[in-house]
Amino acid sequence: MAQNEHLRNFGMLAILIIILCALPSNINLYQRSVIMFTMMYVVLSLSWNIISGYTGYVSFGHVMFYGIGAYATGILVVDYGWHWIPTLFVGVFVSFVVSLIIGFPVLRLKGPYFAIAMLGAAEGTRVVATVWEDLTHGGEGIGLPNIENSFETYFAMLVVMLVTIIVSYWVGHSRFGIRLNAIREDEIAAESLGINSTFYKLFAFALSAIFPAAAGGIQAYKVLYIDPETEFFILVTIYMKLFAMFGGKGTVIGPILGTFVLYIVQEITWVKFPTAHLIAFGVFIVLVARFMPRGLMGFAIDKGWARKGMVH
Amino acid sequence: MADMEIALDIQHLKKYFGGIKAVDGCTFQVPRGQISGLIGPNGAGKTTTFNLLTGVLEADSGEVIYNGENIVGLKPYEIFNRGISRTFQITRIYREMTVFENMLSASSMKMPVREARERAEQLMEFVTLTKLRGEYGGNLSYGQQKLLEFARALMTDPDLILLDEPAAGVNRTLLNNLLDHIHHLQEEQGKTILIVEHDMNVIMNHCEKVFVLDYGVKIAEGLPEDIQTNEDVIEAYFGHR
Repeated sequence: MAQNEHLRNFGMLAILIIILCALPSNINLYQRSVIMFTMMYVVLSLSWNIISGYTGYVSFGHVMFYGIGAYATGILVVDYGWHWIPTLFVGVFVSFVVSLIIGFPVLRLKGPYFAIAMLGAAEGTRVVATVWEDLTHGGEGIGLPNIENSFETYFAMLVVMLVTIIVSYWVGHSRFGIRLNAIREDEIAAESLGINSTFYKLFAFALSAIFPAAAGGIQAYKVLYIDPETEFFILVTIYMKLFAMFGGKGTVIGPILGTFVLYIVQEITWVKFPTAHLIAFGVFIVLVARFMPRGLMGFAIDKGWARKGMVH
Repeated sequence: MADMEIALDIQHLKKYFGGIKAVDGCTFQVPRGQISGLIGPNGAGKTTTFNLLTGVLEADSGEVIYNGENIVGLKPYEIFNRGISRTFQITRIYREMTVFENMLSASSMKMPVREARERAEQLMEFVTLTKLRGEYGGNLSYGQQKLLEFARALMTDPDLILLDEPAAGVNRTLLNNLLDHIHHLQEEQGKTILIVEHDMNVIMNHCEKVFVLDYGVKIAEGLPEDIQTNEDVIEAYFGHR
């Protein structure tokens, strides 16, 4: 890829960061929350995209890593008196280890079998969080200290989003990413052409597990209360998948664009049609799936507005 | 044949699928630096043999000696990294990746990026696909896909190249182009090439040695002109006279 294209992309990212840095002191608490959660879903959808978009292993259980991060923060802050920032690193580390333990057997499965196995793994983690009361406080959940933290969490999420975007950009413009795509396209051919698919899949899976843990930790500190039902809620996985697919999976810009557009559309429909917002949101998704099956980026490529491929 | 002259020494290779003896104790030696052909009727075990040689399938028993090492039991990527590359009977290019990405995907991670890009550019030029470098693999004609797969197999400069039916579905012009490239590799770079092919013109006119399989067993080997008149080969293809 031409050096200019990298410069242009990082220029766009810099503009986005400047805008997001300037925003919080000029908007109200509700708007700050909406943007923070939008950034959180950018982190989640980009992470999901690494294993599912590039490698083609569609995960229905990524909420597991988000939940692990949330619980690491909740437990360490409440029961051990830690400052919340270092708890994020613990969540990331635990998620990384869990991703290796789960990923090694589960990534041997393909297609719907992998999806179901991941769904089962996430459900299993939720059950553990519910029954292991000594550690997790069980079904009654964990209440965190009630303090004003909207600025702290906003900027922490901004940093995590920035790191996730940079890592995703590297994946999306490197031979590592091309090799993940090769695995998605044809794993037998990829192996026959020198790609150790077990290593690459596991690496991608672990990479896709660490950022949701950080996001989950920040989210726990923001909402001040966590319990197994909300932190391991399958809808979180569905949203990350939906946002990535809406923007264009297997691309860097797609999940970012998809999340900003779809999350804000969802928020607007919720405000405008409080009783029917899910129907309006659902109709919107059906229309997009019908007319833009490869998402916004696929549409842009078909129209000639964006170039085919990751590396040029 | 002296050891130095043998690129691949296949000994008593065996692969059964339940009751089907796909490869049944196959033994032959592929000569180094030559173009050899592997032929046989449908179901003779040619593609299975290729899959065993490249680790896509694991042999039940037998040995494949390459550079003094038995490569049976190695993973496909380990075999590839030892210098054996291949194409497939039905092309397995990456359809939703561009031609250039298809090429880069097969480059070694040890090769610097700049070098890998240059190598990909050279090979695309070699097979006249430069103009299509930004096109998705799936949008190429079948013949172009064959050329892409061939070029991709050369990314790491392998010593031994296994081509599974390179002529199938390729028009005469593209095929001649492909055969020119194969000869160039053998003559100019001393590569060893083993071709599975049903097109007898390709085998008889371009291979220096031919191996014939039937029911998973090697029934003949020799020069193309000798194979044409071999009674066992004629019987395998046409039945008893």
